Amino acid sequence: MTEYYTRMGDGKRVSMTKEQIMADLQAGTADAADMGEIPALSSAEMEQLFEIIADKNRIVGVEPGHEVVLTYDIGQLDFTGDNGNSGNGVDMGRLESALLHERALGADTFELAHADYSIKPVKPIIANEMQTMEEIQNEIVAPYFYGAMPNMGLYYAPDGPYGNPADLLREFKMEESMASSEAASEHLARDIEYVSTRIIQAGADGFNFDTTASAGDADFVGTLKGVEALRKACPDAYINVGMAGESVMGIHGGMEYDGKIVAGMYPHQQVKVAEKAGADVFGPVCNTNTSKSLAWNLARSVTFIKECVKVASIPCHVNMGMGVGGIPMCETAPIDAVTRCNKAMVEIAHVDGI
Amino acid sequence: MAFENEEKKLHDALVSCKVPDIAKAVEEAHAAGMSATAIIDCLGNSMSEVGVLFERGKLFLPHVLSAANGMKKAMDDLGPELAAGGETGEAKAAVVMGTVEGDVHDIGKSICSTMLQCAGFEVHDLGRDVPKGNFINEVQNGCSFCGMSALMTTTMTVQKDVIEMLKEAGLRDKVTVMVGGAPVTQAYADKIGADIYGESASETTRKAKELVA
Repeated sequence: MTEYYTRMGDGKRVSMTKEQIMADLQAGTADAADMGEIPALSSAEMEQLFEIIADKNRIVGVEPGHEVVLTYDIGQLDFTGDNGNSGNGVDMGRLESALLHERALGADTFELAHADYSIKPVKPIIANEMQTMEEIQNEIVAPYFYGAMPNMGLYYAPDGPYGNPADLLREFKMEESMASSEAASEHLARDIEYVSTRIIQAGADGFNFDTTASAGDADFVGTLKGVEALRKACPDAYINVGMAGESVMGIHGGMEYDGKIVAGMYPHQQVKVAEKAGADVFGPVCNTNTSKSLAWNLARSVTFIKECVKVASIPCHVNMGMGVGGIPMCETAPIDAVTRCNKAMVEIAHVDGI
Repeated sequence: MAFENEEKKLHDALVSCKVPDIAKAVEEAHAAGMSATAIIDCLGNSMSEVGVLFERGKLFLPHVLSAANGMKKAMDDLGPELAAGGETGEAKAAVVMGTVEGDVHDIGKSICSTMLQCAGFEVHDLGRDVPKGNFINEVQNGCSFCGMSALMTTTMTVQKDVIEMLKEAGLRDKVTVMVGGAPVTQAYADKIGADIYGESASETTRKAKELVA
């Protein structure tokens, strides 16, 4: 029986028969449909996914004319970072990196980022960031944003002033934990307004909120309120809200935005509140399960993202990288899997950008 | 089935995650003649369903804790009868938990710690970026489970380092090593010689409970 070369979610090479791949595609889409209470992929779409996975070529792509926008996060850190999971350890300045992304790598947008890539540490150095933004804007042609993670974990002990829900919940101090989340969320919203409005005033074309809701529902609400404030202060700013995960974790459990509890929201629900807050672009995420096959992960991801794109009124630029979008989680994501996942997102989920 | 109605009320109350409702259902079941052990068993089974709903994103950590709090209150209220029946309420085992050195991602680990605590384990949560030696110290001081979390491919190797250190210290046979985190798989856990791989907090807790049952 013919076997096809494919991957597991941790990047391991495996060979699977068509029946095995189809069974995993079926299970993956069924899992997403069950969790998100959304439609599963059709038989035709799963057959199309199989064709993409089973393609004999190592690298696959979309047909000419079907290319989508490539927007980047993490700024220059994909070159300069050296912690093994977010960069290549190539030392270069932020201007050089921005121009390389624009002129050599085909980035349609790019962004300036602080080494810590979080809102909070940018506050004390905002003047430096504004100056750098202005300088690079004089050179670059592509839309150039500022990017940072809301990263509300930095507002909790030991990094910040508020009690850490992880500790408070273990002590069954539920009310204190919720109050701490609410206070941190408000603080985050204030800091987002402070940082984002200043960097837009310095000439940034927009702001990319990356890895939103990494600290759960309060992080998400704080970010949405920050987006609201930015939209109000800078009506023309281009705002991209990218998520941390497929589901918003309920660390508080009851926080609402626009009258809706955000905990447990999946991409097709997240995008609607991002729109309401004032986002121009939404970056949905689906996490990779390292114990499952590429087929399972990709079918699951495409199911979630397709529904998100379907209900969205704004463009969706799906997060595609190590450990998301069906792509395996390993230090160097294998190009065969990366290109297959991207092709599927464009051709089946119909994303507007990557 | 005897006490079918009471069991349903206990189940519904626990899954509602409301402490007053749980307390009321316990009181009514006890008044109807249900034994303390049977009540706790029923709540324990319902707690597993809370874990499933949590895993499916239908309930969240505060809800799980609230349910656990309700169960704890029931154990306190039924304490004398449980003690007479040989149920001491003592911790199942002591567990050291931490996110390994070099890794600051601790939400998953914290959820797992909380779930283990709810399941009756004594949890020593060392937090994040935990020096390898601190795990060894806790095992030397009596922890019979050692749980290590890693979110990054670059830090998951520390789990192996700690297992090697446990061997060198002559402690490996005295402790059940549990590993988890997004990049970790069953195959990796097998490769480094861990005893339990948990894909989720609920799975880890279930596997740990099975070992002490």
